[in-house]
Amino acid sequence: MFRKLKLLFIPHPANNHRAILLQPLSLALLIGVYLLNQSFLRAFAAVRPGVLGYSSEITIQKVFDQTNQQRANEGLPQLKFNSTLAKSAEAKANDMFQYNYWAHNSPQGKSPWDFFKSAGYQYVTAGENLARDFYDTDTLLSAWMKSPTHRANIVSPKYQEIGIAVVNGTLNGVKTTLVVQHFGTPLDGLVRDDPVQNFVASEQESAVQGVVSLPASNLISPHQISQIVGLVLFGIIIGVLFVDGYLALTRKTQRFTGSNTGHIGFLIIIFILLIFSQQGSIF
Amino acid sequence: MKHLIPKQIIEHPFEYLSLALFFGGAVFAFFFFTYDAHSQRRVVYFTSAGYLLWSLYHHYRRGDLHLSIFIEYLVLAALAIVVALFTLV
Repeated sequence: MFRKLKLLFIPHPANNHRAILLQPLSLALLIGVYLLNQSFLRAFAAVRPGVLGYSSEITIQKVFDQTNQQRANEGLPQLKFNSTLAKSAEAKANDMFQYNYWAHNSPQGKSPWDFFKSAGYQYVTAGENLARDFYDTDTLLSAWMKSPTHRANIVSPKYQEIGIAVVNGTLNGVKTTLVVQHFGTPLDGLVRDDPVQNFVASEQESAVQGVVSLPASNLISPHQISQIVGLVLFGIIIGVLFVDGYLALTRKTQRFTGSNTGHIGFLIIIFILLIFSQQGSIF
Repeated sequence: MKHLIPKQIIEHPFEYLSLALFFGGAVFAFFFFTYDAHSQRRVVYFTSAGYLLWSLYHHYRRGDLHLSIFIEYLVLAALAIVVALFTLV
């Protein structure tokens, strides 16, 4: 048993002077293990929706205040809160939960402009920003501001009004918070200034039956699971590469294999990128 | 200390230097696209493809470009792509 384990990690004549774990077949098996883990996560999300998910402390008021703060930083006038735009934003978020999609255009062919029209908002110009899986408003706003297209909406001098929806629900079996910003300038030129306090984060009933939602603090983040499994995998391979390379170097072993130095460099880079991969995405 | 530096680096310093610069560029691009998971995934795909191309050139120059070696690089690149595909969403 111990000898077999040793051959898995240590180069030896019995494993052709290459740790078994670093041989292409073993690496392919590791890909299989990772894919199996992902399939398990997806199956679990389908069977027990609402257990995996992302908690959030984002509120409409915070998103509204920070959006206007960004405009103030650019010397632009404040956007006024419009309840009709807020309703169209909420309808968009509910539609994404209901039909399980994450995009500006729905699978049923609805564009963002259809939601503006359905809510009764006549506009000269309009725009939409989407976000999901973010924990706090600061991170969310900095994500939007880092993206040129989303930033263009937030600090556009064309817009006079905004409506925001922060809706909790279950998307593809994963509990999350969707944030929708709808920007516009009214066709009639009458800019409203509705109170933001009337709009609070809402809870969307999932289209999937039998959802047992855990409290936000108990949610298990699928991003974190994927990240940890990936890091452990890469960590083990990097460690074995170091040992394998060191022993081959000190024993002066001649062998036909890939460059351990190159592999270590490549995997360390991917390892670093995985560590810094962020939870939350924008569209 | 010198005996701990792999012979291949001493023999092909510019190839390894170009690889290091390429990886540095990949890290810069990744952070440039923070919160843009689509672009970050593309950075990982591009880095993996670049590493695969580098391996072809490197082993061709070393004179040991064999199918088994190419497959080793291919599987490592595939592993990076698969993990990125599911983590950067």
